[in-house]
Amino acid sequence: MKILTKAAAAVLAAGLMAIPATPVHATGRAAAPTPAPSQGTLTFTIGIQSDVDSTNPFTGIVAEAYEAYQLMYDYLMQSSAKDMTPSPALAESWQESADKKSWTYKIRSGVKWSDGQPLTAADAAYTFNRIIKGDYEQTNYGNYVVNIERAEAPDPTTLVLYVKKPTPIMEHLAIPILPEHIWKGIDAKAVKSYANEPTDGKPVVGSGPFVLVERKKQQYLRFVANKNYWGGAPHFDQLVFRVFTNADAEAEALRRGEIDYAYDLKSAVYDSLKNTPGITARASVYTGFNEVAFNTGAALADGTPIGDGHPALKDKQVRQAISMSIDRDTLVKRVLNGNGSAGDSFIPPIYKALHYVPTGDKQGYDPAKANQLLDAAGWVKGSDGIRAKDGKKLSLRLFTRDASKDSQASGEFVKGWLKDVGIDVKVKLMSEDALTEVIGQGNFDMFEWGWVVEPDPDYQLSTFTCGKRSYKDGGSIYADLSDSFYCNPAYDQLYDQQAGETDPAKRAALVQQMQKLVYDDAPYAVTYFYDDLVAYRSDRWTGFVAQPDPDGSILFQYGIYSYLTIKPVAKETTAASASESGGGGGGAPVVIGAVVGVVVVGAVGLVLARRRRTASADERE
Amino acid sequence: MAVLKGTSGYVVRKVTWSLGTVLFVLVFNFFLFRMLPGDPISLYTKGRNMPAEQLVKLRAQLNRPLPEQFLTYLRNPFASTINSTRFNRPVWDMIGERVWPTILLVGTAVLIASVLGVWLGIRAGWRRGSAFDSVTTGITNTLYAAPEFWVGMMLIIAVPFLPSGGMSNPGEGGVLDVAKHMILPVISLSVVYLAEYTSIMRASLVDELRQDYLTLARAKGLREDLVRRRHAVPNALLPTMTLIFLNFGFVIGGAITVEAVYSWPGLGLLSYDALRGPDVPLLQAVFLLFSIGVIVFTLIADLLYAVIDPRVSAA
Repeated sequence: MKILTKAAAAVLAAGLMAIPATPVHATGRAAAPTPAPSQGTLTFTIGIQSDVDSTNPFTGIVAEAYEAYQLMYDYLMQSSAKDMTPSPALAESWQESADKKSWTYKIRSGVKWSDGQPLTAADAAYTFNRIIKGDYEQTNYGNYVVNIERAEAPDPTTLVLYVKKPTPIMEHLAIPILPEHIWKGIDAKAVKSYANEPTDGKPVVGSGPFVLVERKKQQYLRFVANKNYWGGAPHFDQLVFRVFTNADAEAEALRRGEIDYAYDLKSAVYDSLKNTPGITARASVYTGFNEVAFNTGAALADGTPIGDGHPALKDKQVRQAISMSIDRDTLVKRVLNGNGSAGDSFIPPIYKALHYVPTGDKQGYDPAKANQLLDAAGWVKGSDGIRAKDGKKLSLRLFTRDASKDSQASGEFVKGWLKDVGIDVKVKLMSEDALTEVIGQGNFDMFEWGWVVEPDPDYQLSTFTCGKRSYKDGGSIYADLSDSFYCNPAYDQLYDQQAGETDPAKRAALVQQMQKLVYDDAPYAVTYFYDDLVAYRSDRWTGFVAQPDPDGSILFQYGIYSYLTIKPVAKETTAASASESGGGGGGAPVVIGAVVGVVVVGAVGLVLARRRRTASADERE
Repeated sequence: MAVLKGTSGYVVRKVTWSLGTVLFVLVFNFFLFRMLPGDPISLYTKGRNMPAEQLVKLRAQLNRPLPEQFLTYLRNPFASTINSTRFNRPVWDMIGERVWPTILLVGTAVLIASVLGVWLGIRAGWRRGSAFDSVTTGITNTLYAAPEFWVGMMLIIAVPFLPSGGMSNPGEGGVLDVAKHMILPVISLSVVYLAEYTSIMRASLVDELRQDYLTLARAKGLREDLVRRRHAVPNALLPTMTLIFLNFGFVIGGAITVEAVYSWPGLGLLSYDALRGPDVPLLQAVFLLFSIGVIVFTLIADLLYAVIDPRVSAA
């Protein structure tokens, strides 16, 4: 029975040990590669806390999977390391046609797949058409191609994409280009369960700077460098993603040099690695933000009200007052340990061109102003210090996420600050999935959560449109992207306008205007922009490129810059001797299992034999 | 053979009972997990760049009436068409990848703990109150009370020459490599189980100490260790055998904490992930497997009991 009760306790313990939540990253310990073991293979090992959920780019979803796709395949463009604006990759250049009906991309010539076949515009056209016409293929990339009619490759270096209407997404097509000669053999049905893993020792065919040669689920992925990469050969031979389900063990592995880089650290572990000789702990500016969201009046996309949100939150004065009661600097200091910055509008400042910096009526920490606003809105303090209006108390629920300690801490701080201005808050913890469900039904007042914003802002902008509110299907209500149920026709109009604006400067102006609307109406109180926390062996590796320059992330970027530039500090310290390679391969568990089995049978046999012997002894005595 | 004949009714009864339990679990699990809140579509589509029309299509595929879903499920609960909601892969493939590491790890630990525990229990019980007895009881109980993740973490830090986690090194994976990775997790698990076996074995041996047949055996002039080995231990072993086999039934359930501490790619972590979703098809399959494991080993324990203690089948 013990094991089961242990399982229950483990769920609790797991929380303490920070089992990785759904997302949002050593030395050169040389390991012998399976195909041809060789001495002195230079390996860069990255510790990750969520396994790559699938190496099939149509299936995977976690950040670690997207990083693997970037390494295995080429993309038409990437975000520049300097400022995250679109910059050339497999496409050397591109241009919108004068009639705005098509885009032409010049594909690099002389690029080869890892199996030696040439990569041409036909492969790119194939990939796009497959997604456009596809069903399952739309799951991960559908939104990029909604306005693309078809793809054509008139010659090996020219790709033409015909669009239904002008769209700026054509400069942000984050779609891996797949080899037609491999993927044409995987039909619409087979693609759903296609693993895209190395089989029979044959690596996965790709064109990126690394080739996937080995994959053990929930353990590691092993890539070898593509020495013929068009962007230049990486300065090391082998790249490993190693999965850790225990953040403290990952930190220990970094200290010992079992790994070279630890990705996606929590602040406690990050702090423990600071000031360790040989290790650099880095807090990089990141693309994510957190917010306290309000139920601004839950309704379906057609306007039918749903849910049980507190009516006070339909009033933007109340929402602004709450926003002003939140001391963001304290949240950054106490919740993030200083690894972040105070929040304002919902496109993070890492996107310099797009981020709106509030001017005029700012919602900075100002309890006096908050009290004034609440008074003006008709919510009067009672004898118990809680405000009320028409006999209804200003008592609000705030849902926080059990998977995030930061969320829980933020919740407690906000509860205290709101009490000071006469608002009673009941904090309730729930799982992220339960919370998704509750939000979709509109059964909440406030919750704490966050987003990671892509270089193309369209997706993020769409979350505040009327059309993304929940919808009804077969009698049940389902969540869409909107989680504040914000609906403002002026905003929707700007949204449509930016969606067709292909001039980056003009579009940026529209995007800022939209953020201003949302900031003033306050469906969200954006609390903070958190940093990407990593640590790496700076005594062994150097040459990382930050995106954006100079304080952005150095790996897990929108692009693969650092993988091409990092190199060992000094060759002799990193090229350790290759560890001995045990034969057997995948047969090991079976062999050990067999040994264990024999021991079990032996033990049982022994007991029975003894018993029989005892019996005969009794008879004799 | 006369014994077997008398036992056959007992065997048939036990097997039938086990099959009935499996059937009950099948039905019960299906409805139990469907009562959990959560929308499979939003679980699957969260964070994906999926257009709205695609979402509607996907939902239509999944919105089949419950009785129809139930019948499909009953027809073959082990079908390769049952896909995980979150990972969109056949659940039995996912379980297949994770079940061997778990059996290897937990099986080895239970085995070591039971052999060592029984041995310690016999020594401690036979000389009750001795220094050996108090030291053994003290140590095993302390280890039993220590949190597994703490013991695990301490071991990792204390033994820097063994891997900090995982099951094999990239590019390796030979027997020696896996064995090296197993040492710390097996120790962590064994020390936790040890106390159970030690104390049960000790207690049942102490019960036997007062029995007349031991006095008789001594009166016959048998040496002390023969009295212990041939008379006391076989009788005292009965309750411990039951415990050992029941625990083997739980082996398959894994040990979530130790798997998490050592990044061991086992079933325990998979079931935790499934529950978090909740990923109903995966959860259902994992629990079916756990239940079958327990039922099968309970059956084995029952049958074995009849062999080693004929009173059971006679009753």
